[in-house]
Amino acid sequence: MLDGDATAEQKDYFKQHMDHCMPCYKTYNLDMAIKELLKKKCCGGPAPDDLVEQIRTKINSAV
Amino acid sequence: MEFEDAPRQHYTEKEKQEVFNNEFMPHVHSMYNFGYRLTLDRDDTKDLVQDTYLKAYRFIESFQKGTNAKAWLFRILKNSFINDYRKKSKEPSKVDYQEVETYYNSDEVDRQITPDLRVESLKDMIGDEISNALNSLDVDFRTVIILCDLEGFKYEEMAKILDIPIGTVRSRLHRARNLLKEQLKSYAKSMGYNKA
Repeated sequence: MLDGDATAEQKDYFKQHMDHCMPCYKTYNLDMAIKELLKKKCCGGPAPDDLVEQIRTKINSAV
Repeated sequence: MEFEDAPRQHYTEKEKQEVFNNEFMPHVHSMYNFGYRLTLDRDDTKDLVQDTYLKAYRFIESFQKGTNAKAWLFRILKNSFINDYRKKSKEPSKVDYQEVETYYNSDEVDRQITPDLRVESLKDMIGDEISNALNSLDVDFRTVIILCDLEGFKYEEMAKILDIPIGTVRSRLHRARNLLKEQLKSYAKSMGYNKA
C-alpha cells in the first residue's frame, strides 16, 4: 500500500479494513507522513559543479 | 557481477557519447546524494561517483540503451561502495541482523511505536532531525529507505540493484521503517514533542 505495489483488490481490502481498525489507520497515516517528510527534507540538492567536470575529464582521459 | 549476464551491445564512439551524456549524466545528482548517504563523507562521495561513472563508461556495452539507466548506475555505485569504500566508512561494527530481524519485523513493534509517535510531532521536526535519523541507521537499512522513498524505485528494481530477493527487500524495508520510527520517537521525546 505504502509503496504503490498493492493490487487493486489489496487496496480495496486495506481501505475497508482501515475504516474500522484504528491502529492500522494510525500506522498507515504515520508511515505516509514519514514518507512525505523524507521526500521533502532528505532529497538533497544538486551535485557540486566541479563533479560533472571531473567526471568528463576522467572519461576523456580513459578513452 | 552486474556486467557479466547482460547481452553485449555494440556502439560506435558517437553512440557511446550519446548514451553517456543523455542517459547516464542526468542521474549525477541522484547518484551524488545516494553516494553521500552511503559514505557520509563529501570527498569520498565525489571519488565514488567518479569511479562509478568511469566503470559505467568502460562497461557501457553491457547497457542496453533506452532501458533503466538509473537502476543500472545505482547498482554499480552500490557495488563500488561495498568493494572499495565500505571498509573506510565511519560505520559502527556490523549489526546483528538476526536480533534486529526478530524484534523489528514483528507487528507488535508497529503497535508499540505508533501510539507514541504522532504525525503532529513529525511536522514540527526540522530537516536535520529526519536526516540524522536516517543517517543513524545501519547502511543496509538506510539504503532501502533511500531507494524506495527518496529515489522512487519499485521493489523489483531494488531487488536488482541490491542483488537480493524481492521478499528480502520487503522485510528489510519493514525493519528499516520501524528502526527509523524508533529514532524519530527518541528525537520527539528529547524535544518534548510527546507531552501529554
